[in-house]
Amino acid sequence: MEKLQYFIEYFNEEPLIIQITWIGSCVLFITSIGLIIYLKAIRSHLRKNEKIVNTYQKKYEELLITYLYAGAEEEGISSKQQSIIKKLESEIKNEFKREIVITTLLKLKNEISGEMADSIQELYCEVGLLDHSLIKLKSSSWYIIAMGIRELTQFHIEKVQHKVVKYANHSKNEVRKEVQFYLVSLFHFKGLDFLDDLKVPLSEWDQIQLLEVLQHSKDQEICNIIPWLKSKNDSVVIFALKLAEIYNQFETKEILLSLLTHKSEKLRIELIRVLNHLSIFEAKEIIKNTFNKKSKDEQIAFFQLLENLCDSNDKSFVLEQVYNKNFEIKFAALKILKTLDNNQFKNLELIPPESEFVKIAKFLQNN
Amino acid sequence: MNKKKIVLAEDNSTLSLLLKFRLEKEGYDLFMAEDGKKAIELIEQHTPELILTDIMMPFVSGLEVISHVRNALNLKTPIVVFSAAGQEEMVLKAFNLGANDFMGKPFSPNELVIRVKRLLS
Repeated sequence: MEKLQYFIEYFNEEPLIIQITWIGSCVLFITSIGLIIYLKAIRSHLRKNEKIVNTYQKKYEELLITYLYAGAEEEGISSKQQSIIKKLESEIKNEFKREIVITTLLKLKNEISGEMADSIQELYCEVGLLDHSLIKLKSSSWYIIAMGIRELTQFHIEKVQHKVVKYANHSKNEVRKEVQFYLVSLFHFKGLDFLDDLKVPLSEWDQIQLLEVLQHSKDQEICNIIPWLKSKNDSVVIFALKLAEIYNQFETKEILLSLLTHKSEKLRIELIRVLNHLSIFEAKEIIKNTFNKKSKDEQIAFFQLLENLCDSNDKSFVLEQVYNKNFEIKFAALKILKTLDNNQFKNLELIPPESEFVKIAKFLQNN
Repeated sequence: MNKKKIVLAEDNSTLSLLLKFRLEKEGYDLFMAEDGKKAIELIEQHTPELILTDIMMPFVSGLEVISHVRNALNLKTPIVVFSAAGQEEMVLKAFNLGANDFMGKPFSPNELVIRVKRLLS
């Protein structure tokens, strides 16, 4: 008691700055202790949770393996399998346990193929997990809808396509991405039908992911992409251009040429790249006629096309462009001229109108 | 009759359990390891007739297990590796290190049993 009295007197006699330092130190000390206790509690809770999850997972793993090996010789579900289904049916009523059951099923489904993978899919439907995934689709939270669709994709549930496709124009990109992934993973090129009615932009990243899934699918028979090349949604047209390029869609030549007058500059640049890839010579004259009206990026893209598709008829046009103010165009024009007519290219070297011009010509001469 | 011993190194517990059931049903003695470190211990302890190993595992990878078996232990035990899609380069490395066969995931357990039987016949 005396010590406390002494401390209080000592504290009161000290200058204000010392008093503030003392108070600050005490507050920090108490906060640190509180945080340590809080972190300890969280860690022990997580560990406890992990233990519970592991216990349930082990239990469900055993049930799953028993189910897979308890199949009847003839078609249909054996009595042992039926009892496992009933057990799991009661377990999945609890949301926590339901998530563990789904994780366990997926853990195996992703690793095996054949009859057993089909049996896991069957079990998913039989125990009622499919119904739970479909309930998720009706949720008002976008992330629950996305999770529901992802489950349907992971378990390859094709029969609910009409329910999933409704969300193709959902306001949240995450939901739309799951829908697209579901359709393309399960139905490959046929799944791309959602593009017919897509009102929202298809991001560059979404396009890459879709192309990745398509390239890994066994069915490589591409469907008719012309309707998407005519789409009012620019991102759909750009995606269709990528399909035309990857799957060498030469039969789309006419529609591709008609797109040269499209309102979107980004799309026209992408189109010139595709025309270059498909070696569509007819594009040259069309672009040459409107060359001066085109943006710089389009002009550069066109010269990249011309580097691959040039012939002697392009010489006069190229000669006009060797004095272009844009370095890339000037460089490409000189390069093309060197390919088409080396003598004329050498003659140009003798007229030094500007130092940069001479430098490019010399570089090309030496390379 | 002595059962032929197989060491299975796989970090996916559900897949391990499934293969254990299947291969034990075929009459093999299974030793399971959830990582490469445990697999090496089991191989040294039991000298199995066959090793089944995943490539990507915690602590010690499947490639290191193969290297240890072939270079440190100097064993000619047949080794089958499991690989996921996109691990083609790893599979080539595994063959260079001395693996005998590989199976790409997802694979059919029935097909695995056929390969195991062929390698142990």
